[in-house]
Amino acid sequence: MSASQQLTPTNPNSALKIRLAYRFLLTLNTLNAKKPPNFDHTQIHRRSHRVKIAAYASMASVVGPKRAWSRAILWKIRNRGMLARNKKRIHRISTPIRLHRHHARRRRNPNRVVHVDPFVNSGLEVKLRKLVPGAETIDPCGLLDETADYIKYLATQVEVMRNLVDLYSTI
Amino acid sequence: MEKDGFFSNEGNGIPQSWNSIFGMDMESQVNELNCSSEQIPNCFFNRNWDNSMDQSDPFESALSSIVSSPVNSHPGIPIPGCGGDNVVLKELIGRLGSICNSGEISPQSCIQGNNSANTSCYNTPLNSPPKLNLSIMDHHHQIQGNLPIPRNHQLPLSPFPADPGFVERAARYSCFGGKKEPEFPHMVESGMLSRASSNQSFKTTGSQFVGIQEEKNGMPVPASDKKFSRLSMSLTSENKELDNSMEESSLSEQIPGGEIGIKGQTTNSNGRKRKAIPKGKGKETQFSAKDNTTVGEQEKEVSDAKRSKSGEEGHATEKEKEKEKEKVEGNGNGNQKQSKETAKLPEPPKDYIHVRARRGQATDSHSLAERVRREKISERMKFLQDLVPGCNKVTGKAVMLDEIINYVQSLQRQVEFLSMKLATVNPRTDMNMEGLLSKDTFQRASMSNTMNPMDTSAQQFYGMIVNGQEHPLMAMMHRNPNMKSDGFEEAAAFWGMGNDLQSVVQMGFGQNQPQSFHGAMGAGQMKVEL
Repeated sequence: MSASQQLTPTNPNSALKIRLAYRFLLTLNTLNAKKPPNFDHTQIHRRSHRVKIAAYASMASVVGPKRAWSRAILWKIRNRGMLARNKKRIHRISTPIRLHRHHARRRRNPNRVVHVDPFVNSGLEVKLRKLVPGAETIDPCGLLDETADYIKYLATQVEVMRNLVDLYSTI
Repeated sequence: MEKDGFFSNEGNGIPQSWNSIFGMDMESQVNELNCSSEQIPNCFFNRNWDNSMDQSDPFESALSSIVSSPVNSHPGIPIPGCGGDNVVLKELIGRLGSICNSGEISPQSCIQGNNSANTSCYNTPLNSPPKLNLSIMDHHHQIQGNLPIPRNHQLPLSPFPADPGFVERAARYSCFGGKKEPEFPHMVESGMLSRASSNQSFKTTGSQFVGIQEEKNGMPVPASDKKFSRLSMSLTSENKELDNSMEESSLSEQIPGGEIGIKGQTTNSNGRKRKAIPKGKGKETQFSAKDNTTVGEQEKEVSDAKRSKSGEEGHATEKEKEKEKEKVEGNGNGNQKQSKETAKLPEPPKDYIHVRARRGQATDSHSLAERVRREKISERMKFLQDLVPGCNKVTGKAVMLDEIINYVQSLQRQVEFLSMKLATVNPRTDMNMEGLLSKDTFQRASMSNTMNPMDTSAQQFYGMIVNGQEHPLMAMMHRNPNMKSDGFEEAAAFWGMGNDLQSVVQMGFGQNQPQSFHGAMGAGQMKVEL
């Protein structure tokens, strides 16, 4: 992908990759330890979903609460049980008011639907906001910042995962 | 105190805007100093402090306080330094203007004052405004470190006072300044008249500048003066940037303290910002009022200032300067224009990537703020361009955003696909991850990012490669059922697979292992890299 681009800043990038990989392997290990993998179709689907969540979680935890998108991801993951429950009861989650009952410790619901007025490009901005987690309520300037950071980490995570897959597949 | 009163009267709007401008100025100015938001409160504070210091004529006292404030360990004595550059003068003028406008000596904070000498030179021929200039110059020097420049600039000072156009310009500038403040247009006019009537000497101008305040005796005066100075500053700064013509320098010099100019974008941006943000409209009105060639020039400068301001947020200060230069030069060729015309003269459409304010466009405070916002956004877009591969040729926000969205979507799809793959591939491995996950190994790996001489593990790898029969990892596994000790090798192998290119580059092995390669070599190389 951007291997050539990453060639120049190898040191900071590889340090980041190592951190990401470490985190991701940790979660993967726990995942594998919890349930022995089997080749059942549905199981694999569920596993892949869990692996995906693990990937995002590790990515966000490496960043920590510094970024809005990492906070949003972590919040989503931590509360996904609650969100799932609420989804069943409320088809559309518009405001997290009801979540107070379940979670007292929640500052702000990053999933809150906010009608954002795109600053320049109407459709694209909104699209971007939907793509980047936790970017619904940020000002356009910060949105681009978050997008850049998110892209950086996402690209690194993809590379880590690709390497892992290569590693596993060759063994 | 008057100043305080003025300041308070202005309310939060002007000071804040001034702060923001100043803060932004600081940013641009102090690219090296990194004074962003922190500076704003500092400036603010300094200003207040300065205000309190002045008991007499607010402006003059502000100037003197600025000059003499020991805040910056700067003797602040209006020692006639070597005038320094036009740039410095411009800076000074800018500072002066800002001070006048805000009734504060904010520049003090900016004036880190190592150019006491410079300021002193400048001050000798001038009254209090020169002090301000000195401070500005000092500040400018500090920022730009052009100590010798101000010296040079001083020289032209003497001939200027007699410049007949000086008064004109001064008057214009004052008018500009006055226009900035909607409440003081009348004052500005009177000020202008008074200025115009005053003699041509530079000193006179300076005194005019000061005198205007005296006349007005009040906030309005300093406000208008400030505006005037600010305008002049911005104009001069721009002039300075573009060319060090005598005219410019004279212009800058004429304008008390402001014009000398900061070459810096900082100054320009300072002046610009201050002007633009609080009184975008004022500028326009002023422009319309004036109808001189010099005005036209000045307007250009102002617009340049705006441009510089827009550029100051970035990195584009250099670009700004160049652009400003170009623009000013282009414009300066005879845009007599009525201020309105020049003001409204649209510049080439703003390029999304290049931060450049349109000349004379939208002096409205809203539009100016919006322009600042747009510039910020374009700066971020530029950064995003570097992140997203294959977006170098793309220009325009819409296309760029489209690319970004596509890239993010593709990355997310890749994560999903790879997670699916991992879910299927994972169970097949019987690797013991404990060793791999030992933090020590990873820390070692991360720490040893730089080139390392091949260690035993690497040699082992190479031994295996020589064998060429088995995957080094498998070999390791077979040899060491307990992976704990091999965590490092495993990590190395792992990383080697993905980083063959990097390792190659780092180690200079010259073996460009394709990704498909099973990584034996890569692992070894990775090892070395680690």
